Amino acid sequence: MRTNLKRFLQKDFNSWWMISIIGAAVILLPILFIFFSLFQEPNENWFQIREYLLKTYVANTVILVLLTGIFTAILGVSLAWLVAAYDFPLKRFFRWGLLLPLAIPPYIAAYTYKTMFSYTGVIQTTLRNQFNYQIDPEILSISSLRGAIFIFTFFLFPYVYIMTKAFLESQSSSFFENARLLGRKPISIFVKVVLPLSRPAIVAGAVLVIYEVLSDYGVTSYFGIHTISTAIFQTWFGMYDIDSAMRLAAWLMVIILGMFILERLLRQRRRYHLNNKSRPLVPMKLKGFKAAAAFAYCSIVFLIGFLIPLIQLIAWAKLTFSKVWDETFITLFFQTIFVAAIATVLILFLSVVVANVCRRHTTGSYILAKLTTTGYSIPGAIIAIGVLAMFITLDKWLAPLYSYIGLGDAPLILSLSLVMLIVGYVIRFMATGFNAVEVGYEKIGTKFSEASRLLGFGMTKTFFKVDLPLIKGALVSGFILTFVEICKELPLALLLRPFNFDTLATKTHQYAKDELIHEASISSLMIIGISILSVVVFQMIDKKVQR
Amino acid sequence: MKVVEIQNLTFSYSRSASPTIDDFSFSMNTGEIVGVLGQSGSGKSTLLRLISGLEMPKKGSITIAGKPVVNDRLFVQPEDRGVGMVFQDYALFPHMTVKENILFGLSRMAKKDRKPRVKEMLELVQMEDFGDRYPHELSGGQQQRVALARALAPKPKVLLMDEPFSNLDADLKESIREDLLLILKKANMTCMIVTHDRNDVEAICNYSITMCPLIAEQGAAGEKFQTL
Ligand SMILES: Nc1ncnc2c1ncn2[C@@H]1O[C@H](COP(=O)(O)OP(=O)(O)OP(=O)(O)O)[C@@H](O)[C@H]1O
Ligand SMILES: [Mg+2]
Repeated sequence: MRTNLKRFLQKDFNSWWMISIIGAAVILLPILFIFFSLFQEPNENWFQIREYLLKTYVANTVILVLLTGIFTAILGVSLAWLVAAYDFPLKRFFRWGLLLPLAIPPYIAAYTYKTMFSYTGVIQTTLRNQFNYQIDPEILSISSLRGAIFIFTFFLFPYVYIMTKAFLESQSSSFFENARLLGRKPISIFVKVVLPLSRPAIVAGAVLVIYEVLSDYGVTSYFGIHTISTAIFQTWFGMYDIDSAMRLAAWLMVIILGMFILERLLRQRRRYHLNNKSRPLVPMKLKGFKAAAAFAYCSIVFLIGFLIPLIQLIAWAKLTFSKVWDETFITLFFQTIFVAAIATVLILFLSVVVANVCRRHTTGSYILAKLTTTGYSIPGAIIAIGVLAMFITLDKWLAPLYSYIGLGDAPLILSLSLVMLIVGYVIRFMATGFNAVEVGYEKIGTKFSEASRLLGFGMTKTFFKVDLPLIKGALVSGFILTFVEICKELPLALLLRPFNFDTLATKTHQYAKDELIHEASISSLMIIGISILSVVVFQMIDKKVQR
Repeated sequence: MKVVEIQNLTFSYSRSASPTIDDFSFSMNTGEIVGVLGQSGSGKSTLLRLISGLEMPKKGSITIAGKPVVNDRLFVQPEDRGVGMVFQDYALFPHMTVKENILFGLSRMAKKDRKPRVKEMLELVQMEDFGDRYPHELSGGQQQRVALARALAPKPKVLLMDEPFSNLDADLKESIREDLLLILKKANMTCMIVTHDRNDVEAICNYSITMCPLIAEQGAAGEKFQTL
């Protein structure tokens, strides 16, 4: 055994491996902190929460997740099939235009629609003034579970759409042609062939949607819906009861584990891919009424999910721009970009190292990859609590050092600094960067770096001379995708930001909560502007795949 | 002198799988050109990866030019073994020119000797006029020669070639085979060539070994061509 260890060290042990292990540890620790909290004595407050509130929290969370999952699946799959299998007016535009709702974070959509539907909003005033019609406010009340599901559905469905569309477009046409030759009508082809075939892609997309919903704080808090995520905020900020907040987080983890198992069950046999790319799906031309219907369907979704809220935000911003605009927005913009850039660079650095270790199939590399990317499935609030607990402990350990260098007795240094927020971002969005980098490595394969090793270069030199120039493209798209996610992020930033530090997202949330709609519209538009970048990247990747 | 000595080599790709190579022993002398035959999946490429250090064996030892490179207690990284390899699809770095590709392997040579060595190698494979081209601007046969030049440039102790002719059409193959033999002889290179084609063996190899799935045997030394 000892001899094996020595040989293993000679083969795999190097700085790359070390950095990977340290990175994985930093990512895993906060999550472990949460699980350990389950073994501590619960306090008084927790019994109250468990007795009176927990049931509602869990029920609301589950309803939101299930219904949003179902509706996004319906919307995403039907649109993907329309776009993949048919030609109709403006289809080329809708192909990528239907991704644009991703550029509007749900919390921005929530406050935009809520204001539009309010008594003074554009809908009710128009009805009153133009048509002299007083609508029952109940019908338009969007501050409800119903409203939240509506928002999530129209602004998160692109996850399902993009996955399903990519899958369908990679399929050979023979399945669908055969079904037609067998005398099936389009609707029944859709139900009997398309749906079962693309199930793995649909599930993969829906799971992304569900993670977003579980992680949400902006929409639900704005609509006054109690979910486990919002409850974590309340117990933390409202009652300063971090212990109970951690217990709630642990509960949420249980729901997520349930989701994991459900996903496995739903995916089961995922080897449907009969990759004979002989003849890809050729879109069929729709005519007359059918073409109009397809066009109308895509248009309505595009209007609700992108154009209407965008125009409303622009209108608000224009109305009072000169009055409201000041340096704060520029400061906010650069602050946001600054933290996002630091976190993104760290993420890409770690991704490049871990993915490089993993593609060599070194000892334990599979587990390493899984561990470093778990953050994506864990809601921001949970990560925030874990990170906070970890940093408070760290500050306790470092207290002697602090007092030694004259910072006073037991101060909180790290847990009041930006470091905490950045670590939170890294944990949460590691997967986004990692997946992009991994795709880059997969595309070039291992042969170039193997050739370089045999020509006398070690792993590090090989990386800089051979791997890096070849994965540049993947790094750029990984950077943009991760960067945008971080700029949009709300719950983590709210919980982990230092005192008096704001990002565009937290400030937008604050303005919206305080009903400062015009201020909120300006920062919202800045976020949307940044987010459109990632849609452009998706589009570029998509084009490359098509070629 | 023995350049490569392999003893009781055992390897499998995963812990549970049955071994791809089981208790394999073999050795090669200086200047010998050995063909490695065997049906698909019999472990030919795996053998080359083990010798070059891209995989680590479960058991057994390998010695290259008298220096142990892997055994129960030791593992030498691929870059420190002095093994050259020509890959099946050549693996020429797409972002470097032909010259830069060849220069790449000369990092351990004194600076002033590098340029002349590149020139020498280009002459050896008759590619003097193509030094500034990128790999994708070359034909399959030309790429193959550059790959050969790149592998030979650092003066490896042994050259491994994995199906070097499989991407070439039949006409080209014959002329390149002869060139290769000349080049190898000129450099007095010890070489192991994996191939599917018995004609390759007859044309350039001193003798051949045949890998069978799970069992590998050495063809009787001295017998020029092993017959099936
Ligand atoms: N990276 C890998 N992981 C797991 N198994 C592998 C891997 N590479 C090869 N194998 C398996 O090891 C066995 C030997 O493979 P190897 O590539 O050495 O065969 P080969 O003789 O070179 O075949 P070919 O003539 O087709 O190139 C095969 O059964 C193959 O499936
Ligand atoms: Mg092979």
